[in-house]
Amino acid sequence: MQTLRFAIVTLLATVFVTFAAPVSAQAVGKSNHIAMRMVAETDTPAPGSTVTLGIAADPEPGWHGYWVNPGGAGIPMRADWTLPDGARAGDFRWPVPQTLKIGGIMNYVYEGPYTPLVDLTVPANATPGTKLPVAVKLDYLVCTREICVPESKQLSTSLTVGDGAVPPERRAEFDRWRRALPRPLGSPARYQIANGKFRVAIPFPASADAAGAYFFPLTDGAVDYDAPQSVARDGDRLVVETAAAGSFAKPVEGVLKIAGGQGFMVSATPGTVPPAIKTGNPDGDSIWTKVAFAFAAAVLGGLILNIMPCVFPILSLKALSLARANETESDARGEALAYTAGVVIVCVALGATLLALRAAGSSVGWAFQLQDPRVILFLLLLVTGIALNLAGLFELAAPGFVNRSAAKGPSGAFATGALAAFVATPCTGPFMGVALGAALVLPTAAALAIFAGLGLGLALPFLLIGFVPGLRAMLPRPGPWMATLRHILSVPMFLTALALAWVLGRQSGVGGMTLGLGAALLLALGLWWTGARQRRSSGLQWAPAVVAGVIALSALAIVTRTPVQAATEQAGLLNAQPFSEQRLADLRAEGRPVFAYFTADWCLTCKVNEKAAIETDAVAKAFKDADVAVLVGDWTDGDPALGRFIERHNRAGVPLYLWYAAGSDAPDVLPQILTKQQLTALPGG
Amino acid sequence: MREYLFAAGAAIAAVAAMPIAAQQVTGQQAQDFALTDMYGKTVKLSDYRGKTVVLEWNNPGCPFVQKHYTSGNMQKTQAAARADGAVWLTINSGAPGKQGHMTGTEAQSFVRKTDAKPTDYLLDPRGVVGKAYDARTTPHMYIVDASGTLVYQGGIDDRPTADVADIKGARNHVLAALDELKAGKAVSVAETRPYGCSVKYAS
Repeated sequence: MQTLRFAIVTLLATVFVTFAAPVSAQAVGKSNHIAMRMVAETDTPAPGSTVTLGIAADPEPGWHGYWVNPGGAGIPMRADWTLPDGARAGDFRWPVPQTLKIGGIMNYVYEGPYTPLVDLTVPANATPGTKLPVAVKLDYLVCTREICVPESKQLSTSLTVGDGAVPPERRAEFDRWRRALPRPLGSPARYQIANGKFRVAIPFPASADAAGAYFFPLTDGAVDYDAPQSVARDGDRLVVETAAAGSFAKPVEGVLKIAGGQGFMVSATPGTVPPAIKTGNPDGDSIWTKVAFAFAAAVLGGLILNIMPCVFPILSLKALSLARANETESDARGEALAYTAGVVIVCVALGATLLALRAAGSSVGWAFQLQDPRVILFLLLLVTGIALNLAGLFELAAPGFVNRSAAKGPSGAFATGALAAFVATPCTGPFMGVALGAALVLPTAAALAIFAGLGLGLALPFLLIGFVPGLRAMLPRPGPWMATLRHILSVPMFLTALALAWVLGRQSGVGGMTLGLGAALLLALGLWWTGARQRRSSGLQWAPAVVAGVIALSALAIVTRTPVQAATEQAGLLNAQPFSEQRLADLRAEGRPVFAYFTADWCLTCKVNEKAAIETDAVAKAFKDADVAVLVGDWTDGDPALGRFIERHNRAGVPLYLWYAAGSDAPDVLPQILTKQQLTALPGG
Repeated sequence: MREYLFAAGAAIAAVAAMPIAAQQVTGQQAQDFALTDMYGKTVKLSDYRGKTVVLEWNNPGCPFVQKHYTSGNMQKTQAAARADGAVWLTINSGAPGKQGHMTGTEAQSFVRKTDAKPTDYLLDPRGVVGKAYDARTTPHMYIVDASGTLVYQGGIDDRPTADVADIKGARNHVLAALDELKAGKAVSVAETRPYGCSVKYAS
């Protein structure tokens, strides 16, 4: 049947052929569609050292050169070296390529400038001043979308054995080229071929961004290059699935590229790779079970939020206002629904912003808006105002912009809900961490449902009061006691303001905190004056508060995040300082023992070591007792200076752990898997 | 007439929508096909059942194809294969407007000018057979034995360059496989990575 169908197709296809277009002319001969030059990092390499050579290639617009694995068609570059006796050229290291699909065939190419790098070993017995002529014949294929041309180039450069000095502009150029190379991921991956599918599980921290991931196989024969790839995140692993090229049992090397062009070298051995959650996970939990669980957790978390100091006063007064007003059934329901809508909409809006920011590549967490000191300052002023109102300094009877929150009617209820949700986020973190963490790896719709669940939980008590008359009847009758309660409720609100002032201080330093407290004081004075005018029933009651409020808000323009923040946050338990070679030299000159570790957000081994060994109380204590200085180098964005330092210790990438005992000449390079015992033993040994 | 055209169109749409094997598995039955040759005659793979068939993907504009034609290596391989009783089908899957696409008359003149020795030259401008065989490069070679089993797929030799000088000393995978078949042995190198220009399919 298959055969018959196939025969029909081909017959029909050939019948309907259009004969057009002449054979396109082929440029043969001395073409030059890729400009190339060979550059050495130093023209005066030292005897016995390795000098890195770059082949800076620049294809003409519309033309592309090929990666070391060209993909479905194409040919990799071949190099034929002519070197002085004793000199040796290694393999090329290739920059992260791009995909280019032409007529259904996947090609792994470079459409813009690219520079493969190669290490040349200088003979150890070379005497300084000797010339080292280096020549290479390169054969490569260069193509457009239509035609391919094989080209050949002779490149040469002459080096002189010397001191190995690298001129700064050369260094900058090579740093740029090194940045384009894939970095070793550090942890091994695993792959499985089953039912015609190739599935590779790559260790990749759940917290690291992996948008737009694509797996470029380096090993030929395992993967069908033309087939589309699907990528799923499953905790700390990233699973790429595509069609297999056949059966295969050898290790598979490759490069994982993520949006933005960063690439990671992956080495995968055969094994068992269960599909990721996208296609149903091995426990049989469907994605909707996960959603339902997270949704329930979110509703519960939202419910708990009601008794948080930042929310409780707003809610309880609103609840009492319902009872006080003795409203009709429908009014009560209307207000409850409006309040719920306000809460849920703000929660979903915050969640959507969060998802959008993450999609755009920012690494933000829940309550991300609280990372901005301007938002904190605004909240500080708002909470101070509410607290002063609860304390009875002024009344919100008159129409105004804030009093909507206490006003009656659906719009007032809506504003109260929105306010409660917004103010509640600082309290959400610890309770909601798990549910919201789950939300972020789910499809957008499911994630938003969870944010809505949080809002629903927050609104639930009020919703009940609105819809169950019995509950409303249980609320105490209004009376003078309510004024007292209101004054008491101002206390948690003031405490919230205090907490916000502390956060502001953490973010903007003492200056920022003082600015915030000054702004709050100014606002308080304005509100005090307003309150006084209210009691005298004089005109323009709100003028002082508005003026003071505007001046106070202008502080938003001034307050800035102090750069120290990032460092202190990273320091954490160990009081670690950012790594620099200068800092390291200074600390060693002081005679202090130094522990230096190098990490990256995408390095799973690093994260595991940090959690399990480095950032633990035992290690912190041992280090503190021995006055060990801790330096941390963050290689997340591939800083070339850091890369060179790492390479000098015979590592291609992170993790790298170095121990400099006090007064020692050279560091001990520690194993890549650390234990607490190893680290706590360091100062003594 | 209209009804017939409509029916034909519907048949194309319906059949094209069904999946066709994206590649042929070495050691299994090679999928039959029917193509129009350079004289306008319909030729089927199954017409040659009982004989060894060599398939060669061709694009005269491709420098890698030119390497083997200007040196006479492809013609020599064709002649050697046919002298042993094998059938040689050269197939062109270049889409109209793309490099190497040829009409029947152009193909005839190509065969004449290069003094090529194929049994026939087949036109696959829609790329249907090329895609069914997962032909990726020009040249890309396949060998189907007398029982219709695919016994080789890959490159013509083991020197993936466009340099004529590399032909000497290279292992011609097709001739080696044909010799083994003739001796009643299994093909020792049954799959290699093909090299050349990508087949210029319509996208």
